[in-house]
Amino acid sequence: MNYLFAIWAIVAKDVRSELRLRYALNALLMFVVTSLAVIIIAFQDSELNPEILSALFWIVIFFTAMSGLSRIFVSEEERGTILVLQLVASPSAVYFGKLIFNCGLTLLLSSAVTLLYVIVFPTFVIQSLVIFVCTVFLGSLGFASASTMIAAIIAKAQAKSTLYTVLAFPVLAPLLITVIYATALSIQGDIWSNSIPQFQIMIGYLCVVVGFSFLMFDYVWKD
Amino acid sequence: MNSLKVLSIILIAFTIFAGITVPMAPQPQSIFEFPDIPGLGETARIIFFHVPAAWVSVLGFLISLYFGFKYLRTKEYNYDIKSVSAAGLGMLFCVLAMVTGSLWAKFAWGSFWNWDPRETSIFILLLIYGAYFALRSALGSDEIRARLSAVYAILAGLTAPFFIFIMPRVIGGLHPGAEGDSSGSIPIAQLKMPLNMYIVFFTGLVGFTLLFIWLLNVRIRAVSVEHQLLIKDQ
Amino acid sequence: MSEFLSQNQLYIVLIVTLFIWIGIVLYLVRLDRKISRLEEQFKED
Repeated sequence: MNYLFAIWAIVAKDVRSELRLRYALNALLMFVVTSLAVIIIAFQDSELNPEILSALFWIVIFFTAMSGLSRIFVSEEERGTILVLQLVASPSAVYFGKLIFNCGLTLLLSSAVTLLYVIVFPTFVIQSLVIFVCTVFLGSLGFASASTMIAAIIAKAQAKSTLYTVLAFPVLAPLLITVIYATALSIQGDIWSNSIPQFQIMIGYLCVVVGFSFLMFDYVWKD
Repeated sequence: MNSLKVLSIILIAFTIFAGITVPMAPQPQSIFEFPDIPGLGETARIIFFHVPAAWVSVLGFLISLYFGFKYLRTKEYNYDIKSVSAAGLGMLFCVLAMVTGSLWAKFAWGSFWNWDPRETSIFILLLIYGAYFALRSALGSDEIRARLSAVYAILAGLTAPFFIFIMPRVIGGLHPGAEGDSSGSIPIAQLKMPLNMYIVFFTGLVGFTLLFIWLLNVRIRAVSVEHQLLIKDQ
Repeated sequence: MSEFLSQNQLYIVLIVTLFIWIGIVLYLVRLDRKISRLEEQFKED
């Protein structure tokens, strides 16, 4: 019971500090709006086919995640609160708390991007809603879990933001490819059974990343 | 150790000699002729060098994983040295495999790079280990660097077999052995090659592996000596 | 001369490749000996 309480406490702490200062939320929102503006200007009247729309959708999410999600551990390092966290909770509780927070943040982010896309692009009509929702949900979770682990790894490094993107991209690449393909399928209105291999990959990716992070987090966290 | 080195020299020299000179004929008459596969022709010889390079690269990454794991267990700095050296060699042979592969692609399919699933996956593998070295250079303290790169080496080493063995077989593509290729997914394991070709190929594989062991040994010793020099100066 | 070269292209490739391989081997052996010498230096200290 203590364990679950610790996880919940960490999530609550992060949510509260986020609402207080809104560093991450603001940065993410600004990034989404700016990249979307660039896309609109670039693609003013051209016809956007499903593949391009899908790729753009996830590119925006990817780069926004790169700019914002590393804060989860970097902010602790900057504020000097790492020692306190190490004392107060077990490493896996810290990991799961941070993971849940990141998942929430990424889900929020992808919902925002979806909303904006529906408003801005008339051709962004999703014909298979089920595939789309599942893809975005699983994709966001996958993004968040990989990002959390990598954020923990780079927390003590120099040149954090570039290093973060350099490390995150190859790790996220298989997920990105799968998710873009699945989203394109959902825009075209494909049937559920055609996208099952993609969902298998997404779920497999989630399991492997979370499992690996859970096992290895101790070594990254403690000195 | 010395016998391994001599053996690797001999084996690779033999592979080069046999791989290049044994003629190809449509219906091989003797053991001194390779079958001519329609569509591939003389370019099939690349298999003697391109496949061992890729295999040695994966070997390097798996060994890097193993030493990373040992470091986390025992916290001995020597294991970190071994892990980096193996990863470096893995990178080297990954690049070699990519280059030989794209040279072959130019002859077989017309262009150097096609974003075929196998090509893409080996490129991502290259990026993963490039990130490994970027991570190492961004970390100052020896101990932290060793610990974090060991964790990353384990993660990256787990993805390497996935990228090399699993992904290209599951997703359809141009490279031999992908989904939809009629000649079967593992031509080597299924002994689809005639015996004489198989012998030369296997010799090359063993020769390259021994070469890898030699290179790894030299590299580890070089880094260790360098490290000892550093310690002595302090 | 050029006829001979164009007829025996395969063997030219072979000889070049073997040359490259011998070069690599000689370099490796030299490196190996250098490191052994350094290691002995350390053992003596």
